[in-house]
Amino acid sequence: MLFKRPVPIALGSIFILILAFGLTALISHAPTVAALTTLPTFWGVLGVNLLVGGSLILFVIENGRGTLRIVLTVALALLIGFVITLLISHDPVKAYTALLTGPLTRINRWGFWIEDALSLTLVGLAIAIVFRARLFSLGAEGQIYLGALAAGLVALNIHGLPAGLTILLAIAAACLAGFLWGLLPGALRAYLDANELVSTLMLNEIAVRIYSLVLNAIRPPDAGFTVSATFPPESVFPRFINGTKISTAIGFVIVAVFLSWLLIQRTPFGFAIRMIGANPNFARYGGINTRRTIMLTMAVSGIVAGLVGAYLALSIQQKLIVGISSGLAFEGIVVALLARNNVLAVPAMALLYAYLRSGAQIMQLESDVNFEIVRVIQAIIILLVTAEFGLELVRLRRNRAARLNAESGATA
Amino acid sequence: MIDNILGSIFNALFLASILRVVTPILLPSLGALISDRAGVINIGLEGIMLAAAFTGVVISAYTRTSGIGAWLGLIGGVIVGIALALVLAFFHLRFKGDLVLGGLAINILGSAGTVAIMSELTGDQASTTKLASLQMPIVDLPFLRAIPGIGEFLYTVFGSQNVMMWIALLSVALMWFFLYRTPLGRHIRAVGENPDAAASVGIDVVRMRYLALAISGVLAALGGIYMSMGYLGNFTRDMTAGRGFIALATPAIGNNTPLGTALAALFFAFAQALSIRLGTLSLNNKPLPSEYVQMIPYVATILALVVNTLRKRRAIAARARQYQEHQQPSGAPSR
Repeated sequence: MLFKRPVPIALGSIFILILAFGLTALISHAPTVAALTTLPTFWGVLGVNLLVGGSLILFVIENGRGTLRIVLTVALALLIGFVITLLISHDPVKAYTALLTGPLTRINRWGFWIEDALSLTLVGLAIAIVFRARLFSLGAEGQIYLGALAAGLVALNIHGLPAGLTILLAIAAACLAGFLWGLLPGALRAYLDANELVSTLMLNEIAVRIYSLVLNAIRPPDAGFTVSATFPPESVFPRFINGTKISTAIGFVIVAVFLSWLLIQRTPFGFAIRMIGANPNFARYGGINTRRTIMLTMAVSGIVAGLVGAYLALSIQQKLIVGISSGLAFEGIVVALLARNNVLAVPAMALLYAYLRSGAQIMQLESDVNFEIVRVIQAIIILLVTAEFGLELVRLRRNRAARLNAESGATA
Repeated sequence: MIDNILGSIFNALFLASILRVVTPILLPSLGALISDRAGVINIGLEGIMLAAAFTGVVISAYTRTSGIGAWLGLIGGVIVGIALALVLAFFHLRFKGDLVLGGLAINILGSAGTVAIMSELTGDQASTTKLASLQMPIVDLPFLRAIPGIGEFLYTVFGSQNVMMWIALLSVALMWFFLYRTPLGRHIRAVGENPDAAASVGIDVVRMRYLALAISGVLAALGGIYMSMGYLGNFTRDMTAGRGFIALATPAIGNNTPLGTALAALFFAFAQALSIRLGTLSLNNKPLPSEYVQMIPYVATILALVVNTLRKRRAIAARARQYQEHQQPSGAPSR
């Protein structure tokens, strides 16, 4: 009986392991286990770990048996990554141990994992929304930059509002910037047939330059680097776990996931997006205004990407820095693909991929293997997931089983 | 003052710099063209360029004593380019993976793989300045100077260009000949236009697409080699800076012909050379922020995409009008 449900059991044990590890990181800070609950960070860490578990459970509920395939795909990609590490490293086992266990060894590393997972969740949502309509828009990168810029300008220049209102205003500004920077390639695609992949990549480059122009203009004269002034405390998300940058922005991410789900699954607009993704011609014959939907889909995805910018500026950096996003949009692709563009599955896959990313940083610190190996693994995951290697294997096995059944039936 | 600026921009040196910057756009553009004509546009050009650029530098550095190190680097880079293109082809044609996502994966692979191996080989994850790599040779044409009147001008523009520039120009002619004057080229075009019809007359659609992707891999690799072994003296991370993506736009703007693609590539090269040239200018004694001019090629790409669509629409409208006026097609709208 136990073996009939391998997936929930495996996932459950992984969850328990993570929870346990998350606590061991804390134990090093406490004199005794009994004193653990008195640590100020204890309940914060426990709460975040429960959210981690919750998103994993959500993923299993959403994917059912498909979970196993995703787990196998990632495992296969990691295996290929290990073979590559074997070739280029003098101590591959140490490197891979750092990659796979690193994020759970210290509270600040654990914190880095969660922080990164939050930004990847938002990017994953933005990418999943456009991929849902089969639009290959990668404009998220530029939208993140402009979102961060808009949020940062509000945070630096608006003073004297009641608590929390500055943050809301900054977020709204970021969303508006992302919306407009998504509307532009959306309109170009919908009404002028401009290839969205090329146009968004070009717009990304332009957005980065705009960001850098403004940043140079607002940088304080005494700053040694190109950075803005640090935001005033009333316009940043309060952090609540010492040693990490985890902040109350976590609530906004959860709301963003829920709203995206609502939009895609429970509104006429979301229905139009899904119809276009399934079959554009059928959608048009069915009376859907495909041009407008395409334009707005890219704009709405821009809103979410703008949120990423706000998160990076207001929660992680608390100021504007050069290269604030550094290619996050491309990381969102692998998250959205692993989640099969299902927004409810995005948080779990963001956690998974953020785990590898933060593990890779520790690997680069502690071994001779470069961080970039995790992006090689990422590319392999993309190839494996979209090629349905796993599916093909299952199908082969089924076919053989069916043939064997037929043969045994014939002989009987 | 404006005259002064214009005069300092548009001269023989500027034309020479256009030819220098067109090479790494033109070569992958032709790669995009042939893959597009076969119906399997190669999104992975950028990653292939990076992988080949890096391979060329490394091989030339390790074989520099052989005397033909640069050419060995070129061959190695091209082999890597073909290999990556075939990975994409295999992934798409055999395992029915999505072509765009596969191409993006190749790009990530090229960008990340080169940095990972570079940091392993040199301990540096920004550039290969520590490797003593070689350059592709310059083709010196002193006889151009002998031409009376315009000799000095011609020599400045064409006289000392990298051999890769000449390979790029030659590739345009070869591509035209291949696509329009050989049976194989005709088959590739047929496969792109209508794979079912092509298959029905016995053309092996899958094999033609493998071939087209492999050729696009060669061309992108040559573009990458030029980047690291001609345009710059070493490999730096993500040095192609979006050229592989701009190359995806040029065939459409150039009406999907080799000559049109070359003209579109020249247009981008002009925008880029202008931005390089303007970057050294100053207005009212204050340096112009380089960001403005850096944006020029990207804005130009978007504008070109739009203008291209408008032009196509006008052509369709004109054909429709012609039909209505004559009440019969003066010639079937064929391609």
